[in-house]
Amino acid sequence: MVAVVGVGYSGFDANTPDLSWKEIMYEAALRAYTDAGINPRRDVDSFVTCAEDIYEGFAIFDEFVPDQLGAVVKPTCTVCADFLYGIATAYMQIRSGLADIVAVEAHSKASDIQTFGNVVKFAMDPIWLRNVGNAHPYYLAALEMFQYMGERCLSEEDVARVVVKNKNNALLNASAPYAANVTLDDVMASPKLFDPMKKMEIAPLADGCVVFVLASEEVAKELTDTPVWVKGVGWWSETYGYDTASFSAMYAYKAAKMAYKMAGITNPVKEVDFAEVDDRFAFKEMQHIEALQLAGKFEVARLMAEGYFDRDGALPVNVSGGNLGVGNLLEATGGQKALEVVLQLRGEAGKRQLSDVKVGVAQAWRYLPANSGAVAVFGV
Amino acid sequence: MKMIEKIVNPKELRHWDGKIELYWIYTSGKAGDEFFKKLKDEEKFIAAKCKKCGKVYFPPRIYCEKDFGETEFVEISGEGCVRAFTVARLDAYEKPLEKPEIYAVIDMDGTDGCLIHLLGEVEPENVEVGMKVKPVLKPKEQREGKITDILYFKPV
Repeated sequence: MVAVVGVGYSGFDANTPDLSWKEIMYEAALRAYTDAGINPRRDVDSFVTCAEDIYEGFAIFDEFVPDQLGAVVKPTCTVCADFLYGIATAYMQIRSGLADIVAVEAHSKASDIQTFGNVVKFAMDPIWLRNVGNAHPYYLAALEMFQYMGERCLSEEDVARVVVKNKNNALLNASAPYAANVTLDDVMASPKLFDPMKKMEIAPLADGCVVFVLASEEVAKELTDTPVWVKGVGWWSETYGYDTASFSAMYAYKAAKMAYKMAGITNPVKEVDFAEVDDRFAFKEMQHIEALQLAGKFEVARLMAEGYFDRDGALPVNVSGGNLGVGNLLEATGGQKALEVVLQLRGEAGKRQLSDVKVGVAQAWRYLPANSGAVAVFGV
Repeated sequence: MKMIEKIVNPKELRHWDGKIELYWIYTSGKAGDEFFKKLKDEEKFIAAKCKKCGKVYFPPRIYCEKDFGETEFVEISGEGCVRAFTVARLDAYEKPLEKPEIYAVIDMDGTDGCLIHLLGEVEPENVEVGMKVKPVLKPKEQREGKITDILYFKPV
């Protein structure tokens, strides 16, 4: 068994002009080590950072890492993926006996990016797709949304309800810069920037950093009386090509299956108490709820309208406010989701604390134009 | 807990406007080359059929992603059907586009694949799922052997 013994974060904010991205990392790491009651120079055996060079604005990100995490002259590596892939990597390092204590980090200094549209375009196939038309690459998500709505018989209101739920949930999260008490009418009146996708259905960018300290069972029991266990991890890539991708988040379905199997979960609807899923586009939350088997294919919209996924519903989803409330945290997206799961399981989620929760799931997608992602199941 | 002493006066903040020029050439590869040459010179479309499982890939590629086997090129019409579409109103810099662009996922006839490209000579309100479309190419002398040699797809 592997446990989360410390969490720390910095942000989350729409921008962070006073701190550099390295200082955001330092701040989050200091909090995580303090939370765990450890000294990184002495106690941490290995450091895993999760980053994508193009989001940073320079190459070979891992060269820029060690100092701000207390990792100088120590085993350090960067996973070019979301934070949840880092959790999986740390889990393997601990279970293999290579390390007893591992720090995992991911951050976003999205406010430093002056040309986000072009950054996403840089990830698009340069031969077949990048130079088609002049639109912002958000159009690619809108195409998938269009197809998904058709296949699931969804109305525009069905998708808009995700925004209403998450932005209102975010009102109880002091670290959610995009919280708002919006109504269904407000969302429906939001301009259609990429028909049928509305402006408010796109998560705006945000800054922040998340650091976790993971430890082996033996060490965890020495460090804390309240460990949160990593019960399962999973990750999955569909395919590179848009022509062979499912357009229905199969990556999340497969990653969840992998994580559930490891966690011994056979009936997610009954065994998962709450979930934090990737909602960087509102329709993605619906897709991901379905992929995580938290509702049937054609039930998500009805359950959403009935309040089933609300904070006080039977299976709360994105109590933190999700990306629509907190913002698009790039590779730290899964970090914010895992953080919320851990805080809830520890009973430290303040006014948005859920009652009697034992198992929570965090899920993140690798964002446009990818068809891959990771899932982690945490429990107490 | 020792924390960073924050700068509270935004006027004291400094930053560096960073910009760096980078250039690449992107090779189209064997399959891309075959496709774009045919498109440029002969106005013909090709796809790639797996010799093992028979799946027909579009865009073409030299290997099958399912069984990792080889493919062979097959000629297709270049026409297809609209599977999904969106009307994009913002450019990459999040400024309004002068003229909204209609992007579509086009299932290509005779293949198991599709192409994401623009629709033209049609108003957004007249686009329908399943609508049959065909490619409109640049005049031959302006073609460069790139995906932009296809200007857009229009209703048949």
